[in-house]
Amino acid sequence: MPDADQAREEVSEFQKQIGALREEIGRVIVGNREVIDGVLSCMLGSSHALLEGVPGLGKTMLVRTLAGVLGLEFSRIQFTPDLMPADIIGTVVLDEAVAGGRTLEFRRGPIFANIVLADEVNRATPKTQSALLEAMQEHRVTVGRTTHTIAEPYFVLATQNPLEMEGTYPLPEAQLDRFFFKLEVPFPSRDELHAIIDRTTTEQHAEVRRVLTREQILSMQALVRRVPVARHVQDYAIRVLQATHPNGEEAPELVKRFVRTGASPRGAQAMLLGAKVRALFDGRFAASIDDVKATALAALRHRVLLSFEGEAEGVASDRVIAEILKKLPASKE
Amino acid sequence: MAAVFSRSMLLLPLPLGYAVAALTLLKALRLGQAAQRNLLILGALPVLVLVVGVARVLLARRPAWRGSLALDEFHGFQDRVTSALTFSQVPEPERSPMMQAAIEDGVSVAGSLDPRRAVPIRVPPEAGLVAVLALGLYGLSMLEVRHYRQLPPPASFEPMQMSADDIELFRDVAKELQAKNDDPNALVAVRRFNQLVEDIAEHRLDRHEVFQRMGDLERDLKDNVDLDQDARDEGLKGLARELEKSGLTKPAAAALDEKRLADAEKALRELAEKLKKKEGRPNAAELDKLRQALEKASRSNEERLKNIADRRRELEDEHKSLLKKKGEQPDAGANTDPKLADNERRLEHLDREKSRAEHSQKQMSELDQQLAQAARDLMKDSQQSAQDLEQGAQDINRMAKQEASEQQKKELLKKLQEMRELMRQQGKGGKDQMQRLAKFGQRARGQSGQGQGQGQGQGQGQDQAGGQKQDGPLRLGSGPGSVSIEIPVAQSRPGEGPTEPGDKPGSGQEHGAGLGAGTGHNKDLAGAATDLKGKTQDVTAAGADTGQGAASSQVIFGAAERGFVGRGYKQVFTDYQTVAEQALSKDEIPSGYRFYVRRYFQLIRPRD
Repeated sequence: MPDADQAREEVSEFQKQIGALREEIGRVIVGNREVIDGVLSCMLGSSHALLEGVPGLGKTMLVRTLAGVLGLEFSRIQFTPDLMPADIIGTVVLDEAVAGGRTLEFRRGPIFANIVLADEVNRATPKTQSALLEAMQEHRVTVGRTTHTIAEPYFVLATQNPLEMEGTYPLPEAQLDRFFFKLEVPFPSRDELHAIIDRTTTEQHAEVRRVLTREQILSMQALVRRVPVARHVQDYAIRVLQATHPNGEEAPELVKRFVRTGASPRGAQAMLLGAKVRALFDGRFAASIDDVKATALAALRHRVLLSFEGEAEGVASDRVIAEILKKLPASKE
Repeated sequence: MAAVFSRSMLLLPLPLGYAVAALTLLKALRLGQAAQRNLLILGALPVLVLVVGVARVLLARRPAWRGSLALDEFHGFQDRVTSALTFSQVPEPERSPMMQAAIEDGVSVAGSLDPRRAVPIRVPPEAGLVAVLALGLYGLSMLEVRHYRQLPPPASFEPMQMSADDIELFRDVAKELQAKNDDPNALVAVRRFNQLVEDIAEHRLDRHEVFQRMGDLERDLKDNVDLDQDARDEGLKGLARELEKSGLTKPAAAALDEKRLADAEKALRELAEKLKKKEGRPNAAELDKLRQALEKASRSNEERLKNIADRRRELEDEHKSLLKKKGEQPDAGANTDPKLADNERRLEHLDREKSRAEHSQKQMSELDQQLAQAARDLMKDSQQSAQDLEQGAQDINRMAKQEASEQQKKELLKKLQEMRELMRQQGKGGKDQMQRLAKFGQRARGQSGQGQGQGQGQGQGQDQAGGQKQDGPLRLGSGPGSVSIEIPVAQSRPGEGPTEPGDKPGSGQEHGAGLGAGTGHNKDLAGAATDLKGKTQDVTAAGADTGQGAASSQVIFGAAERGFVGRGYKQVFTDYQTVAEQALSKDEIPSGYRFYVRRYFQLIRPRD
């Protein structure tokens, strides 16, 4: 018989670690529990997150804090229209040796960090974006004939500013699909604002401690992958995915009317992985349909493309996904 | 289960509603069987809908773990139970530690599951409607819509009424016939008649049944009676004609011709004795004549039939030629048609004659054979011939008995007809006729118009004077055409004959003219003697008493008082009845009176 005790220990350990992480992050970041969990889910899912929110909501602070509590190498890339791929990947430079002679040396760019914050990724040109997205996907960079692997864990958090869309290069759908979750950072509440003001306008300055090691993170990522998903949960996730397509069997009327294209299979992967992480967050040993429902929005909102009518009507993809989750029964009759 | 129940409740109103509507229609409109059948057939449709609907639910594929999901959802277990169940189906070697941990986790919470609360079987909202419809259906089925039908009035049984006197009359007839008869067929008929009389006496039969039984009896009696008798008479006549040609058989021939069968039998026996004797036997010539006569006599019926057949053939040929002539000359129809009609009549007559001849042959066949055998044996052995003649005599004896039996049958038929006529007369004219007949009966028996006579003659005396009417003639029948009959009523004379016990003596009172009959006795019945102014002398002559009994007039006038008994009265009655029957048979009495004449004699018939 399989050793369930070991599993229970691992899950218990996971919960403790997550608890510690949350607590440590909470010392710096006020509120945004869902965003933090989302970010953690993306990280533990070995994937990347896209954060969208107005400036000044602490997106950079969150990533920086996350890097601090994880003890991982962190880099921030501010995407501008003139940013070149080499600026993020790195470049080859001619290096003069002390003994003489010149060698070509590849100088790594900021992308070669464990945690990369790609700020306002929609400002850079598609060429630069693609360089980042390739690295995100492959976890390595090829320069010339040499492939440089990016060390694990590798986690990219990209941000988008929803206000200033002029002069920007919105990420193409294919690129957006590479992000595990798209998290919307909400404007803090009054109480949260009070807390933020209290923390940031005084001479008190919270320092974060490293609570997890790199190995622990990798271990946690591995544990996430080991969380089993019952057939009915997986089936539900797939049905949700299929319902995002206008010609889907269970697609509601809203989808048929306002959606041009539904989510790709990556959406189901993201839902299920995120569900697994949630299960572990709750100390459970298997993902549930509720976990899938909880992750569906973040996993699918950037994957569901609206039709012209949907855009003209101002229908948000969140509304479409919410409609699907509302109407789709847990089990098919 | 819940789904089946829910679906059933959803669809049940259909057949229930239909049943309620159909039952209401049936009861309110009182539909016939055809309409009922159609409604039943139509009712299969909603039932089918229900069955199909429920079957679909029953047979529908259930998603796996639907129940456990509902439990997880209700308890907020985040699919722990369902996941545990799912993973438990994975073989152990393939299970991961996490799966096992999930299973154990599910088991740990299973104890707190509450299926009743998690998946309650809710009463569907349609259940109320179903209950109402079911109650309505039950109530309607219990409801009895009475509809009143006019039942035909029960058939009333009115037994045939016949007076005790008439019943006694017909009983006596039956006894008499039974005593005279020994023919089994005739006896059967007499017994049937007797039974009929008894049933009438016991009021077991109504008018219709009485007439029906009389008709049946009459038919059975009439079958073959006339035909047999006529055929036999013809046959005997034929025999007589041939036998007359021989001196030895002349006596027998004369008796046969006059239908004196007993004498004919005796004559044949005597002839047989003569033939047996050695002395005084007929000579050869006589014997030869005898033989020829016997031979021809035995063939007489056969020859008669042959003659009829020959005549028939001639008539048929004539008929055919007439038809042919008519066909060829349609214009000569005026000449041909009467001849054809005449020809057809003659053919019919011949057919009847033929039928009689065949019957006669059948009846006379044994006698014919005996006579033929006697003729043959006469030449060889006169002893044998004598025996044949004796056997022939026995046949005649049998015929005589048969004739007697038929006479009895005719007698019975006659009585049946009298009974029928009596009932018919009683039946027509209603109560008035019944009263008139009752009065007639009373007057006939010498009773007054008041009170009912019992048929025994209560000599009350009548206020009569030598034939004067008391209160006018008795009117019989009703309406125009009804007749008045003066009925002489027997007068009681003091000292004549015994009175019946209980009889009321003559009151001796005079009654003035009135509607009712008087009850007194008038000494001046004969009136005062005529005072003849002449030189005459009254001479009283009295008849000598020859010891032969009372005179007829004396017998008649005392009969009612005496109750119509006595040998003298019986003789007088017979004499008078014979004369009356002869007059009736000769059609000397008008048909309207015949019944009353016969009735009169019935009422005054002699009693024992």
